[in-house]
Amino acid sequence: MGLCSKFFVFSVFLFLLLSVSIRWVSAVDEDVAALDIAEAEEVLGSAYGAVLEAEEAGANVSGLFVRLNVADQYLAEAYVWYRLGVYENATRFAGLCSEVVGDMRGEAFGLKSKAHGLWVLDVLVRMIWSVGGVIVVVFLGFVVWRVFRRRYHKRVLGLRPEVVSGES
Amino acid sequence: MNLEEYRTLFIVVTLVLALVAASPVLGVVVPQGGSERFSEFWLLGPTHMAEGYPFNVRAGEVYSVFVGVGNHLGGSEYYMIYVKFRNSTQNLPDIDSSEPSSLDPLFEFRFFVSDGEVWKAPVTFLFEDVIVEGDVLFVGDVTINGVSFPVDVSAVWDSEDGGYFFQLFFELWRYDVELDSLRFDDRFVGIWLNMTA
Repeated sequence: MGLCSKFFVFSVFLFLLLSVSIRWVSAVDEDVAALDIAEAEEVLGSAYGAVLEAEEAGANVSGLFVRLNVADQYLAEAYVWYRLGVYENATRFAGLCSEVVGDMRGEAFGLKSKAHGLWVLDVLVRMIWSVGGVIVVVFLGFVVWRVFRRRYHKRVLGLRPEVVSGES
Repeated sequence: MNLEEYRTLFIVVTLVLALVAASPVLGVVVPQGGSERFSEFWLLGPTHMAEGYPFNVRAGEVYSVFVGVGNHLGGSEYYMIYVKFRNSTQNLPDIDSSEPSSLDPLFEFRFFVSDGEVWKAPVTFLFEDVIVEGDVLFVGDVTINGVSFPVDVSAVWDSEDGGYFFQLFFELWRYDVELDSLRFDDRFVGIWLNMTA
């Protein structure tokens, strides 16, 4: 085999090897895309649950909702590309979704704890005001009643006819 | 009024005032009744009004509508809208059994809406690869918000109403925290389209 033939065979071999390798590395198959989307969806659902709990505890979660909406749009894009069979894009958008969500769960729990602390303090203050208010009302009611009763007796007794002796 | 009646009156007034004084903490303990809870789901024409909806559509022309959701459920909600395309014989969602249409969705929107807030988005669509063969019209491609979807939907000439009729419809789905997934929310809106090639 001449040098040219060897070079030709080697080139063909190299070309085939490269083409197979590149396809193996760059192409994202359907299963990988489906897995990435499922993972992104799970992360998003979990983050939403945590944000919802924080909101129910009275935390201001508007910032987290803005991020959730961005992540959600990425997830919708991922699903659209997946249905169209463009798995690279589907994977890319699923990754972006997971990236945006990040540690939102942790942030939501932090906000929830903070809101819960504030709620406890609020209830405590309300309780002190209420108990104090009830004590004052009952005490004042009792005092007013005593004063009223004394005046009532004085007035009623003052109206009674005096008993006088019949001596003249 | 005798003294006994005055005493009763004093007790009643004191109790009422005590309740008023205790109201801050009662507001936390006693559950407050809310108004009716529901999700709004609507479709508006290109001028943001419930009029001027596209009906007579032609292949290659772009049409637009607006889809929106209002949340009145007392807390933030996670929604999804599936956009689907069908002819008059293909199935619609079944509200009675809470079943979505079995057709594959083309486009989808996903979004979160706070309580009392409204979400809306424009939807543009155009039809391509529309062919008439005999009394059947085939649609090969639907583009929604710039993304092209291959479809294989056909309609037979409706001699009664004079046209080839298709429907573009939107299904509302909502995240169920207990199920930990989105589920069909028993609501859909759509527009009928009389297609020409």
